[in-house]
Amino acid sequence: MMVIMRANASEAEVANVVAYVEKNGLNAHLSRGAERTVIGVVGDIRRVSKETFELMDGVDSVMRISRPYKITSREFQPEKTIFNVNGVKVGSDEILIIAGPCSVESREQMLEIAQAVKEAGGHALRGGAFKPRTSPYAFQGMGEAGLEILAEARELTGLPVVTEVMAPEQVPLVAKYADVLQIGARNMQNYNLLHAVGKTDKVILLKRGMSATAEELLMAAEYVLSDGNRRVILCERGIRTFETATRNTTDINAIPVLQAQTHLPVILDPSHSTGKWEYVLPIARAAIAAGADGLIVEVHPHPEEAVSDGAQSLKPEKFAQMVKQIRAVAEAVERKVK
Amino acid sequence: MMIIMKTEATEVDLAGAIAMVENNGLRAHIVRGAERNVIGVVGDIRQIDPAVITLMPGVDNVTRISRPYKLASREFQKENTVFNVNGVKVGSDEILIIAGPCSVESREQLLETAQAVREAGAHALRGGAFKPRTSPYAFQGMGESGLEILAEARELTGMPIVTEVMAPDQVEMVAKYADVLQIGARNMQNFNLLHAVGKTQRAVLLKRGMAATVEDLLMAAEYVISNGNRRIMLCERGIRTFETSTRNTTDINAVPVLKSQTHLPVFLDPSHSTGKWEYVLPIARAAVAGGADGLIIEVHPHPEQATSDGAQSLKPEKFAEMVRQVRAIAEAMGRTVPQHEVAL
Repeated sequence: MMVIMRANASEAEVANVVAYVEKNGLNAHLSRGAERTVIGVVGDIRRVSKETFELMDGVDSVMRISRPYKITSREFQPEKTIFNVNGVKVGSDEILIIAGPCSVESREQMLEIAQAVKEAGGHALRGGAFKPRTSPYAFQGMGEAGLEILAEARELTGLPVVTEVMAPEQVPLVAKYADVLQIGARNMQNYNLLHAVGKTDKVILLKRGMSATAEELLMAAEYVLSDGNRRVILCERGIRTFETATRNTTDINAIPVLQAQTHLPVILDPSHSTGKWEYVLPIARAAIAAGADGLIVEVHPHPEEAVSDGAQSLKPEKFAQMVKQIRAVAEAVERKVK
Repeated sequence: MMIIMKTEATEVDLAGAIAMVENNGLRAHIVRGAERNVIGVVGDIRQIDPAVITLMPGVDNVTRISRPYKLASREFQKENTVFNVNGVKVGSDEILIIAGPCSVESREQLLETAQAVREAGAHALRGGAFKPRTSPYAFQGMGESGLEILAEARELTGMPIVTEVMAPDQVEMVAKYADVLQIGARNMQNFNLLHAVGKTQRAVLLKRGMAATVEDLLMAAEYVISNGNRRIMLCERGIRTFETSTRNTTDINAVPVLKSQTHLPVFLDPSHSTGKWEYVLPIARAAVAGGADGLIIEVHPHPEQATSDGAQSLKPEKFAEMVRQVRAIAEAMGRTVPQHEVAL
């Protein structure tokens, strides 16, 4: 950490900062410039807070040098984390494709989609039984009955189930049915929930909050990893910007940024990151071209009848076309879609 | 356009809004709902300002239905606009790659870079002689002597020149040397400049402003087209967001959005949209996979010595690798990156 003093800071103010650094068992390296003094703070800086320094007399600003996350970082583990989801080695050169409806709406709907997804080449099935909806008056999901339908779809197709858990006390229930626990964008910083899923042995799909930086996403992953669960898939799903032509703005930069900063697999959700089905195919291709390890895509046989996210759902034929295109792009970047 | 009345609007308010519509030579269709009334406005609405209508008594808000641009839209022209830049049919299935330094720094630097990018497979040369720098104390470009060096590089390599013009009174001079006039992000809504380049015969590379919506970009293109110049390349170069790990946020969605809204070719500038050379290759691949018609890339043989944008500049070897990767992606999509015979 670098503490940059004001140009007019007094010697007493500099000495005060140095004393605080040393009192906390850290080393202070002074660099006296022509205009101002900079104090380098060396050691395990997690024991002091940036804000404390910022409030001290004579301090202009504080810059953090080392990353605030540890187990999640590439520095801690240079090689990629690889784990198995339905025979796909996620994080290797194999691309994982998760697909299904936004919500479980009925047994018929779910089983029909599950078979269509399997036939088109999907590796895992998504479907929400507990739904975080913006409006409290909108459909909130089928709850446990939805989980039972998901389990039946797994029986039928062999596809593992990816489904959202919204609260810490729901974790045991959802974990009983699900293979992958999804943390939704709105819950990315629900720290009690992160602790709760970190204590399970399920794979976690952690979605980036819509106004969270890449670093904040990595800090959220650190919560899960620090509880002992290392099987975390990070998911970019679009961020909030001034642009209104799409529901969100796909932060495609986040793919190579995250791949550089962390060893965890990184996937993209082009359904939410665009909000319109006609943009899902090009953005899915872009994600794989940029180095994503997988995709999660919304599919519905009758989007016009969907209770949620119909506008961004692909019909099964379109999804099958997407899988073919993704396979071609994956091969161009020397990866594969099983 | 739909005028949505407030729930408490009176019949007098409604009649006032209808009268305004009809006085402008337009037709009003009234839809009476259970809670509120809505007026559909039919006709050429470009002469009325939605913001002014919201000031009328009883009006809640106004929603535009038709697009505010016309000549730039797919509705106006269904098929892609295709034009030739150094043998590449831009807007067809051929991908155009423009590369070169951020700034023209010296004759040696530019000629070295030009030959390197030509050998690596670039089709056109970029290089700024007039530079819009955030700081007035930073290098502002070599000016006309930079343009002369660019012309010399064209002589030497055969590559057409893409260079920025910053002011209407410079257009004539820059057009004397350049093949493609670039409008920088900071000038996307410099409307006098857009009029001026619209009156030239040069192709125009129009970069999206860093806080401009896709629709704002298309309106800027409409300025150029409405002056008679149809050869425009639109360029996504990253937008301003809260994310700080990259210089800008590449709005990759803008590529398919623009392709569906307009017939004009769409480019991406991964150098500016990421700000870091190590992210340029993946984002260049993503752009072409997302359907972009071309790329504009910063290349410098010695990035650590560059007077501007060194951190986001590729070395020539890395650029050559990018061209290979982009070609593989283009082929996976049934498109091509035309090869140039290397005979310098």
